[in-house]
Amino acid sequence: MFRAILFQQWRWTRLIVALSTVAAFAIPLFSVRGSAANLEHKEAASFLGDVQSWGVLYPTLAGALGVLLAITLWTPDHRGRHVYALALPIPRWRLVTYRYLAGLTLLAAPVIGLTLGTLLASGTASLPTGLHAYPLGLSVRFALAAVVAFTLFFSVSSGTARTAGTILGAVAALVVFQVLLSAAGSEANILMPIVNVLLTAPGPFAIFTGRWMLVDV
Amino acid sequence: MSEHAVEIQHLTYRVKRVFALEDLSLKVPTGSIYGFLGPNGSGKTTTIRLILGLLRPESGTITVLGHAIPERAPAALARTGYVPEAPHLDPTLSVAEAIWFHSQFYRTWDGAWAARLLADFELDPKRPFGKLSKGQKGKLMMLLALAQRPELLVLDEPTDGLDPVVRRDMLSALLDYVSQHSATVFISSHLIHELERICDWVGVMDNGRLVADVGMERFKTGMKRLKVCHGPANTDTLPFRVLTRTTVNGNGTEMWLVRDWAPEMAPAVAAAGGELQQVIDLDLEEGFVELLRSFRVPRSEASRV
Repeated sequence: MFRAILFQQWRWTRLIVALSTVAAFAIPLFSVRGSAANLEHKEAASFLGDVQSWGVLYPTLAGALGVLLAITLWTPDHRGRHVYALALPIPRWRLVTYRYLAGLTLLAAPVIGLTLGTLLASGTASLPTGLHAYPLGLSVRFALAAVVAFTLFFSVSSGTARTAGTILGAVAALVVFQVLLSAAGSEANILMPIVNVLLTAPGPFAIFTGRWMLVDV
Repeated sequence: MSEHAVEIQHLTYRVKRVFALEDLSLKVPTGSIYGFLGPNGSGKTTTIRLILGLLRPESGTITVLGHAIPERAPAALARTGYVPEAPHLDPTLSVAEAIWFHSQFYRTWDGAWAARLLADFELDPKRPFGKLSKGQKGKLMMLLALAQRPELLVLDEPTDGLDPVVRRDMLSALLDYVSQHSATVFISSHLIHELERICDWVGVMDNGRLVADVGMERFKTGMKRLKVCHGPANTDTLPFRVLTRTTVNGNGTEMWLVRDWAPEMAPAVAAAGGELQQVIDLDLEEGFVELLRSFRVPRSEASRV
């Protein structure tokens, strides 16, 4: 059964998986393109700045990959009102678990692509003294970030369209309420505490924040 | 083996305030071909989805092949072939891939028979499901339902909108299977004449209620229109049910729509003080339409329903 579900999900998501794998492989290579050897201190700092500016792409790719994969996995079911999947002789919890595991399996391709890209980039670049490459650390972080985004949106997407609408509606209502508060001249900020909880460790999205550096001191 | 393949008792299900199944009770005899009739929106598809555990009832019990639904739905679904009203297969999968995917979920899957049906139905294994014609999609859904060797087939308007040739092919495969395996079939359809040919039991839904649940022969022979002169005011004592009675002219002649009629009941009309002038046969479609009409007629216009 798992093989069948994995095959089906591969058919649905192969374009997303293939493109993100290529991107994950290419980003590290572009981020350290050209030799960084024999750089002066000032130039090394500039080099790190470049690496850091490329670093924004890792969490962006991980988040986009997780979200797109999760939504795509459930889109055919939403179109068919879940009738086919629910009519299969398998407990719902097992079907959802298989689908989740199949999604994680598909996530492995971009993670492997990134790992190979970072290993190749760090292996071929000549780094200035004092700088080090962290290919495996960056790959593990990328994998965890992708899993967090995938898990969150998989949970939302696996429900009915109404459930997803309710969650998104609640978020939109909060934003609108904040805009109205600001327009009315109030200094109250209801969004910031929520954002802080989510983005500050041990918040679930803390992994997306901070510096994503393939090369660092 | 249980006496009934499907048993529903006092089932209630509501969709907001728009629609409701109220206190529905229904039994599908094991080995029968049960025709499930009813106009659009009468609750046929909702009932089928409840039977398969796709929806959860508010109250009441459902048993399918001895399994409580929805609690034991996977066990029941493993022995049930289902053809939905609209085919919901993944449009990107080819016919062969859709068959392979489906087969992975059924231990009883008969690959050889699936291959034979594929050839019989003249389906191209490489063609994506999304590019099949309506008839081809219907055939593929029937193939998937039959090749798992089910004990129960639940078919939700499987031939609706298909041309007569495709309908014949599908029903022929269905009857072939049923005759070989003594499977139970629960089939909903608008095509009353089609059901008349194949069904031995019939249930009629209207507005969320089951208004008839009888053997096909009894339904066909028991539904009559009687022309009665000077009929009694009270028909409660008669051995058949008078669904509606309408005045034909001013000399006391009435037309009765009756259920559970048998020829030997004719003297009962005279015994009640009336004169039976004519017994008019109804075919299944006429009986179906008249039955629904009788349940929709305002009570003030019907002597007894």
